[in-house]
Amino acid sequence: MPPATTLAVDVGGTFTDAVLVTADGEIHTGKTPTTPDDQSLGVIAAAELALAAGGVSPREVDSFIHGMTVTTNALLEGRFAKTLLLATHGFEDIEQLGRQNRPSLYRLCEDRAAAIVPPDLRFGVRERCGPDGMLEPLDEASLRETLAACAGLGVESVAVCLLFSFRYPEHELRVGELVAELLPEAHVSLSHAVVGTFREYERCATTVADAALAPLLAGYLTRLTERASATGLPAPDVMLSNGGSAPAALAARNAASTVLSGPAGGAVGMARAARRGGATRALGFDMGGTSTDISVVHDGEVRVTAAREIAGRPVALPASDIFTVGAGGGSIAWCDEGGALRVGPRSAGARPGPACYGHGGELPTVTDANLLLGRLGERSALAGGLRLDRAAAERAIDTLAGRLGIDTTEAAAGIVRIANLEMLRATGSATIARGIDPRDHTLVAFGGAGPMHAAAIAEELGVTTVVCPAACGVLSAYGMAVAGRRRDRSQSVVRRVDELEHDELSRLAETLRTAAAADLGLPEAALDSLVCELRYAGQAFELPVETESSATAGDLTAAFRAEHERRYGFADEHAPVELVTLRVSVAVGGQAGDPFADRPSSTTGEPETRSASRLRTVWFDGAWHDATVVSEGPPPGTPLDGPAIIEQAQATIVVPPGWRATATAAGDVSLNRTGGDVAPGEVS
Amino acid sequence: MSVPVDPVFLRVAAGSLAAACDEMGEVLVRAAHSANIKERRDCSTGLFDPAGEMTMQAEHIPVHLGAMPAAVEALLGESHAPGDGWMLNDPYTGGTHLPDITVVTPIFTANGDSLGFAACRAHHADVGGDAPGSMPADSTRLDQEGVVIPPTRFAHGGKIDHAVLDAITRQMRNPAQRTADLRAQLAACRRGESRVREFADRYGADAYREALAAVLDYAERQTRAGIAALADGEYAAEDFMEDDARGTHDLSLRLKATVTGDRLTLDFTGSDAQHEGNLNCPLAVTLSACYFAVRVLTAPDVPACAGAYRPVEVIAPPGTLLNAQPPAAVAGGNVETSSRVADLVLAAFGRAQGQGTMNNFTLGNERFTHYETLGGGQGACPDAPGPSAVHVAMSNTLNTPVEALELEFPLRVREYALRRASGGHGAQPGGDGVVREIEALETIEWSLIAERRRYAPRGAAGGGDGTPGRDFAAGEAVAGKARGRLTAGQTLRIETPGGGGHGHF
Repeated sequence: MPPATTLAVDVGGTFTDAVLVTADGEIHTGKTPTTPDDQSLGVIAAAELALAAGGVSPREVDSFIHGMTVTTNALLEGRFAKTLLLATHGFEDIEQLGRQNRPSLYRLCEDRAAAIVPPDLRFGVRERCGPDGMLEPLDEASLRETLAACAGLGVESVAVCLLFSFRYPEHELRVGELVAELLPEAHVSLSHAVVGTFREYERCATTVADAALAPLLAGYLTRLTERASATGLPAPDVMLSNGGSAPAALAARNAASTVLSGPAGGAVGMARAARRGGATRALGFDMGGTSTDISVVHDGEVRVTAAREIAGRPVALPASDIFTVGAGGGSIAWCDEGGALRVGPRSAGARPGPACYGHGGELPTVTDANLLLGRLGERSALAGGLRLDRAAAERAIDTLAGRLGIDTTEAAAGIVRIANLEMLRATGSATIARGIDPRDHTLVAFGGAGPMHAAAIAEELGVTTVVCPAACGVLSAYGMAVAGRRRDRSQSVVRRVDELEHDELSRLAETLRTAAAADLGLPEAALDSLVCELRYAGQAFELPVETESSATAGDLTAAFRAEHERRYGFADEHAPVELVTLRVSVAVGGQAGDPFADRPSSTTGEPETRSASRLRTVWFDGAWHDATVVSEGPPPGTPLDGPAIIEQAQATIVVPPGWRATATAAGDVSLNRTGGDVAPGEVS
Repeated sequence: MSVPVDPVFLRVAAGSLAAACDEMGEVLVRAAHSANIKERRDCSTGLFDPAGEMTMQAEHIPVHLGAMPAAVEALLGESHAPGDGWMLNDPYTGGTHLPDITVVTPIFTANGDSLGFAACRAHHADVGGDAPGSMPADSTRLDQEGVVIPPTRFAHGGKIDHAVLDAITRQMRNPAQRTADLRAQLAACRRGESRVREFADRYGADAYREALAAVLDYAERQTRAGIAALADGEYAAEDFMEDDARGTHDLSLRLKATVTGDRLTLDFTGSDAQHEGNLNCPLAVTLSACYFAVRVLTAPDVPACAGAYRPVEVIAPPGTLLNAQPPAAVAGGNVETSSRVADLVLAAFGRAQGQGTMNNFTLGNERFTHYETLGGGQGACPDAPGPSAVHVAMSNTLNTPVEALELEFPLRVREYALRRASGGHGAQPGGDGVVREIEALETIEWSLIAERRRYAPRGAAGGGDGTPGRDFAAGEAVAGKARGRLTAGQTLRIETPGGGGHGHF
């Protein structure tokens, strides 16, 4: 891969960040406020800043990659195109029926996310396939009548989900043709093509979301492509949930695969920082104002999950396995009816924000607690450059402390400890519940509050190394710049492995590879990974096992048993094994090297002058300590022992007693556990 | 109400216990073989203190709330050693109904001091008896419903005693699957043991036991605060169970609820005597249903532990439907009468009723067994409509996907849809039920246990009633509790009830 000039722009909730990596490996950044009404305006503005910083003309950019929240926000806010659902007759309500469980056991009227398609836009298609083939032919005449009757309704998009289409797609394909003929203006999403896996509810809900988001995304990407072209930039690639990018035209046809665009970039950036630190296994800990994202990296690759839920809706597509918990710096602390201190799930949000932001917030938050404990400086950049209001934070926490019957400092320390506990639980869900032991991982901390809490969380997890990556304020955009293109294709098989023909696996894999490569417009692109989801016949959960396409039934069975043994502590040596789903991904491009690891000294982010350190009293382990406060990481090779606070432009790093901070040439700061004098659980 | 514990450590302890229970549940659900446990999550996990008080439970399904403690209580008199594992399902000695098998393991420190117990309960696909699935619609004695397992030690020194286990599973329809599920349950308990030992190693065994006491007190305070918010006084409700299987007479349930300050008494005196059919509840099941309803009315977020139920007194005279004695059959009590008990408590406090049944049905023959329950309409709340197509009370299990069902069994789903307009009208309407019609592709036996086929879920405050459920076998209407046979091409169609509305339309 020859060096190329890559520009990546990530749209966040508040800021739009651009990272430019030149062919020489120089890095330049740009930051502008996000433009919510049309994100593409901010994208171009941020891109121009980074280009100007590097003295690079738009026409010199070889690759322009973009992460956005257009589909994520639409999903969260329920802004959908007018969408029709065509489902097998008798199963029109599948999306609304869900899996029949209620979201809250004891709040009886709390409902699931409302179906995207209302009852009057759901239509039955007379046809039926079963596990062994067609049972009832497609009745085209009645479908034509239905579609003709919908012609005047202003339908923007159509989702088609027929039973067993993952095995017999012919009916869906024909329905798609008829829709194209009779509702030519409408976008069409076919469930076997969008998802390809079995279990009709998850496939249907994903297809409906895809259809309902497609027109919005297509419009946005058209505008962005035009603006880019007018600026002289190449057509954009879009970051997908799976951690790779895709050409805008392909992304526009696969809206549901873009709903985690931004966080996926962050996870890739995090994975690179982990690799620079020499960690083969890492946990990403991205703690922001309202939520915290936890991701897992093994051997430099972000763990990808086959399906996940977003805004209460299943999205059965490969996505970076990012586990989100609704606790962050803005989480509000309170005293419950039983007299216990609680933190979250309510958040002060961006407005009014924590009490110390001085925007009128009166409720105590995690950020207020960090300020009172001396972890956070009054001049931190958290509130957009405003000086933090210590008196307001003190008033807020004092009121709560009175209710709890403890003093203000104890209350502040308690808030931080409970917040850490919430995040610890989330980390456990992201690791232990997935069969991953967190203790042999490095914690990579970023986000506004991540590096402040990371050492305490690491202590609780039994993790001994924390890395706070360089330029962590633009980590997501950086991840997008280095990620490369990736396309996944999946198909459910649901057959016993000993019933597969000897070359069936490789033939299926090749069919999927060909399709994925064609999607990317690179027919020769090689297979990047082949994952077989396997289970014991009759079980309901499958386990992913990465295999070669030449694997035999015996290989698959052995690999599955080993994985089952590893995860659950036992394996059945006799039960037959079933191949549920085959997942193929194709990846091309991407920066194999790491511009940060060997960047020239002239690039952005190097400290201009090293300011002298000073002392501040900071609360650790039940007492006030004199902590060293410095404004950037220690010089490479010169360790800084805790208690210390490193106040960088983009992050505040807390180094507790018993921890040592060292900086690398790349600008990363790593924290290592040194002392044994602090009891686990007392670092808060 | 004793140990003063700091408000921070309290939350740390409660959070750690809850996380341990969650993790036990993950191990169980992912390692089990029964679809009931894996797909539908019909299982619960819990941790207990050395005195047998439940200190935390993973919230998978409410019907196990009050019943888990009974299982541990049944084992308190035994001698325990590290590595032991116990199982039981006898409804009169710690169980609920026979398909729910509970596994309990004792937890010890390295010095051999007791740290309490880990327990998990799971609904097995079959435990023998007259009908596949062990949920016969017309049983009259417990032993017709399956193998009755008294408290039995089936693991010693960390190893399964296969002679003991095989002797039990041999009497069931799929011994290999039973063994796999029980092994998964044991693995879940072992995970709970490890987490408890880690907590105790870190903070000290005494601190662990103090933390348990503090968590119990904490939950008690929360429930008391919730009860105190209800107006003092007496509340009453009456409702019926449809005794279709016996065809004799409907069964009456009566409740007098009394709120006095922060205490609540639920008195079911005056309810009918236990009957010849299987709608009888062991006391543990009645307690579960009462605790569920109290949580809904008072403190939905309270930790699920024994402390939360201390301010609640339940009176159910022995020999009545709600405190049945051996050898009464109980298959329907756990799944159906329990829903009605919850309905009574909620109705007494002015709430509209949900579908009030789980619509249990079992399909199978000598080659397979498939058990399902179906959601329906939820009763409306004063401030929100009742959700449609959900489990409303004591259950919260997932459905079986149509494609999963058809890939595995000789069955075909003809229709799975909302039952439109079945919810009661009102300022807040009740939720709609569902329709599910399944065709047999070969000759099968079917068995149905469902309620609210004649007595509708009632609305409240002027809201309309929900539409009662209906059932058809081979096109003919059948009663809510019935069994029969379908030949290839015939169908079983179930239409579940809508929920009651709230407030004048």
